[in-house]
Amino acid sequence: VTRVVSPATQTRHRPARRKKPSDSVGETSGGHVGQSGLRAFLGALPFLTPSLLGVTVFLVVPVIVLFVISFLNWDLLTPATAAGFENYLNIFRYDGAGHSLGVTFYYVLLNIPLQTVLALGLALLLNSKRKGMGLYRVLYVAPYLSTPVATAVIWYWVFDPKLGAVNALLAHVGITGPQWLSSSAWAMPVVALVNIWQYVGYNMLFFLAGLQAIPRQLYEAADLDGAGKWKQFFRISLPLLNSTTLFVLVTGVIGSFQVFDTLYVLTQGGPGNSTEVLNLRIYQVAFTDFRLGEAAAMSVLLFGVILMFSIGQFLFFKNRVTYEYSA
Amino acid sequence: MKAIRIGLLYLIMTAIAAVFLVPYLFTAFAALKPISQIFTEPAWIPPKSLYLQNFRYDFVDGDFLRYLSNTALVTVALTLGQVVFSILGAYAFARMRFPGRDKLFWVYLMTLMVPNAVTVIPLYAMMRMAHLLNTYWAIFLPYALGAPYTIFLMRQFFRNIPQEVIDAARVDGCSEGRILARIVVPLSRPVIVTATLIAFVFGWNNFLWPLIVTNSQSHYVLTIGLANFQSNMNSQWNYSLAASVITLFPLAIIFAVFQKYIIRSISLTQIR
Repeated sequence: VTRVVSPATQTRHRPARRKKPSDSVGETSGGHVGQSGLRAFLGALPFLTPSLLGVTVFLVVPVIVLFVISFLNWDLLTPATAAGFENYLNIFRYDGAGHSLGVTFYYVLLNIPLQTVLALGLALLLNSKRKGMGLYRVLYVAPYLSTPVATAVIWYWVFDPKLGAVNALLAHVGITGPQWLSSSAWAMPVVALVNIWQYVGYNMLFFLAGLQAIPRQLYEAADLDGAGKWKQFFRISLPLLNSTTLFVLVTGVIGSFQVFDTLYVLTQGGPGNSTEVLNLRIYQVAFTDFRLGEAAAMSVLLFGVILMFSIGQFLFFKNRVTYEYSA
Repeated sequence: MKAIRIGLLYLIMTAIAAVFLVPYLFTAFAALKPISQIFTEPAWIPPKSLYLQNFRYDFVDGDFLRYLSNTALVTVALTLGQVVFSILGAYAFARMRFPGRDKLFWVYLMTLMVPNAVTVIPLYAMMRMAHLLNTYWAIFLPYALGAPYTIFLMRQFFRNIPQEVIDAARVDGCSEGRILARIVVPLSRPVIVTATLIAFVFGWNNFLWPLIVTNSQSHYVLTIGLANFQSNMNSQWNYSLAASVITLFPLAIIFAVFQKYIIRSISLTQIR
């Protein structure tokens, strides 16, 4: 029997013919694939369950719950009622979300650029094979691992206008120091300084790793060409540290947006509301005013700002240009 | 000329080290002085004798013995859970085949973009609904079922173990659990020590979350006790600085013992 099949019928029949094996013949083979897949999944389940539960209950579900709460009026005592978009407007009208967002940006601006430059400077200083570099490196990182609440207590004392070491030192050279944390002009710079002190050594380590990954031959070639140290820094080190710098900047910004511990101890948002960053304001609205809806709406705002930075970073590292060195 | 330059370099580096360390030194001095001496002497004068009354007051009257044991308990539970469950999860993603594996790992990675500060309000609501407020569970549970970040780090490490080693064990009839416990874990000591340190320091230093979920002194951790102390004691610096020493001292010991791993942990942290 010769079958002449037109292209039309061929295409029409194709789905049916493709379906058949898995329907009839495939009853076993198709089932087998599914079964082994299921068996593999069940085999992995004991390993996966705890973290899957953790990720779901403590990371995915809270994001959903956060959005739900942000549309509610809820004071923890009486049942919650629907608020629509009201909370999102009220946080700007009555709760100073705009002010707090501005204060947060101000803090990030005081903190991150200076910290990044200092971290790079320290890395350049320690980037040599001389004796004792390891010890210095460890000492510079010590504040990073210290409890922020404890270091904040220490700095509160150091910057105490009457008893603190800073003003005592200034008095020695005949300067009357300012009121520091009780002055709305100085409070935020002091907080930024404390955070720089705490995190600069940590960020230095990233630059140090980046510098050590740059092939020595590049500098040797530049030496032969008669390029000075500064030129070598700007033409070789800095461009090759590109992705390290971006990483340090973005993680620093994301961390700074969430600052809480240091400010809670040092200023409580004061004097006035001059250091009332968003994360501190969220805490106050939620747990001293008991207005969970507004606090959730502010958290969504904070989430949005942070997400812009983390998505930007994600996209950059996904399509990252790598400068490969080939001998 | 060169000797002078190198000498200058060391001088600068030592001066910078002093900036990082002097605040701790002054604190240790002050913690060992009676209040009168703190008020009358500059911070850089060392204590004349070993005065331990501040610590005695903190531990006994200030309830810091309880805070210390609460912090230790909660931190150990958090660390143990986070490390063990991260190892399990990372092994599944690195060394097992199952449908949807890569998509699921993608979900884990996406949750890295959820900042801690943002989940505080909903987590509080959930803990309240579960009647877990004011319990030790509330303090460590959210971090004790494995951390996506740690799973990511460990997965990288586990994937570098040669396949032949694992295949050989499978041929010999080893179960997956046995392969993990007898082969993968012993070969992955650096990343496990690193993960342990990250979890421990996080748990020890955590403040905002315990502040929100505890409101009775019996469940306070060190950071809460210290922050309360500082705002209640006002200018009784001898007590709050001694309390800072109590909080930081265990970390200092860990830092001294594991410094090599700590430096490595930070270079591991960089996503490349």
